[in-house]
Amino acid sequence: MEAENIEAIIARIEHKTRKIESLLKQLKPVEALKTALEGSPPNTKDERCKSANWIVVHRAMMAIKDVDGMFSSLDPEYYDILMKYLYRGLATGDRPTCDQCLKIHERLTERAGLGCILRALADTVNTV
Amino acid sequence: MAAVAIHQFAQCITCHAWNADHSMVAFCPNNNEVHIYKLVREKWEKLHVLYKHDQIVSAIDWSLRSNKIVTASHDRNSYVWNQEGTGWVPTLVILRLNRAALCVQWSPKENKFAVGSGAKTVSICYYEQENNWWVSKRIRKKHNSSVTSVAWHPNNILIATTSTDGKCRIFSTFMKDLDTRAAGLSSSNDAKFGEQIVQLDLSFTWTFGVKWSPSGNTLAYAGHNSMIYFVDDIGPSPSAQSVAFRDLPLRDVLFVSDRMLIGVGFDCNPMVFAADERGIWSFVRFLDERKIAPSSSKYSSQFSEAFGKLYGQSKHGMTNDSLDTSRHRRGAHENCITCIVPLRNAGDAAVKRFSTSGLDGKIVIWDLDNLTDATR
Repeated sequence: MEAENIEAIIARIEHKTRKIESLLKQLKPVEALKTALEGSPPNTKDERCKSANWIVVHRAMMAIKDVDGMFSSLDPEYYDILMKYLYRGLATGDRPTCDQCLKIHERLTERAGLGCILRALADTVNTV
Repeated sequence: MAAVAIHQFAQCITCHAWNADHSMVAFCPNNNEVHIYKLVREKWEKLHVLYKHDQIVSAIDWSLRSNKIVTASHDRNSYVWNQEGTGWVPTLVILRLNRAALCVQWSPKENKFAVGSGAKTVSICYYEQENNWWVSKRIRKKHNSSVTSVAWHPNNILIATTSTDGKCRIFSTFMKDLDTRAAGLSSSNDAKFGEQIVQLDLSFTWTFGVKWSPSGNTLAYAGHNSMIYFVDDIGPSPSAQSVAFRDLPLRDVLFVSDRMLIGVGFDCNPMVFAADERGIWSFVRFLDERKIAPSSSKYSSQFSEAFGKLYGQSKHGMTNDSLDTSRHRRGAHENCITCIVPLRNAGDAAVKRFSTSGLDGKIVIWDLDNLTDATR
């Protein structure tokens, strides 16, 4: 991976961060989550890019208060990628993060089924 | 319920096949034997035990016109069984494999059969009259992993394979002595033996259960990531559809018509997929009626218990009572379905009946009285 390319990805993620902060200020957490998940995973093996993107997704995910409300406006196309980030969240072992991830995981599994979990676990190419 | 007959034959069945008039069934009860049963006055009677393999028989196919059974086994061998008098006489097929044979299928004209193996190869076998011998010709160096399933195109020349390297490939098996070049067909018809027509790179995971539609225009196979792939216009520029579904992955599929497919697998319940008038495939419903609306069935799977424990730790977990109801699986199959076979009457274009077998040792016969019924 060329350094230039990585810089471009980082710049894109930084831009996303600013957009998310402004959406959260406007009390639009679902829009913020959608923005965070867009263009994810960053399509690179570079760990710095991946962590930067995870921080953005994490920020938006933790801002979700009403999980059921979120799912009523989150389109199914985001389900598979959200599931992958939930597992990344669970892997951190951080108490509040895991609590939030489990809460979303339960609702997401109800909606998207076990197939969604399998796709998240089986996809070894688009790592988050 | 669409299941018209359920019979518990063994503890576990690896594969099964029917004779031409569906009066006899051959299956492997998860060991080195093949049992043949016949339906006599509403009761299944064991007629023969084919005993020649040393290890688990992984695949069986029964040719409809020539009445020959071909078996493939983990012992790396294949036998062709001929009915002579009251018994079945095996002929060894020299495959020269160094890994297990995993799948086998007769070609539509029944003059060849294909064996997929763990040795990353497909062997195309044909009969040599002068030596009274089944010879195999190998397609090698194309697969990067085990070949899990093979399917013949109705033209008797093209063969599709799925593999644990995640690819689906299509080869020509043209043999000068056996096949004639049909005039006016696509350019893929000119390919030499073993030539790869196309490699489909849609899945990141193991792929299983490849099948052609009755017309040979559409190809379908399942990925181990709860996806099913439909491919049209096989050739240099195929058009593919990837369909994700909400339940556990499929192991095998069967086209009942060009626009409808049944998938079976780890969800223990056959799933119906259908194409709409624009040709867009989607999941329609489960065939077994115990699961009606997906939204009402919470975690209705083998993993429900584990999930219950996981969620039990979070404050918003469900109560145990709601889990208990889903734990009792009362469908036709109680474990993973690994095999689906059509029960096609001669001359019928569409499959109206088919049978499934799986790890629960049952063979279940399903009836689609009316194809439109299945889509409802």
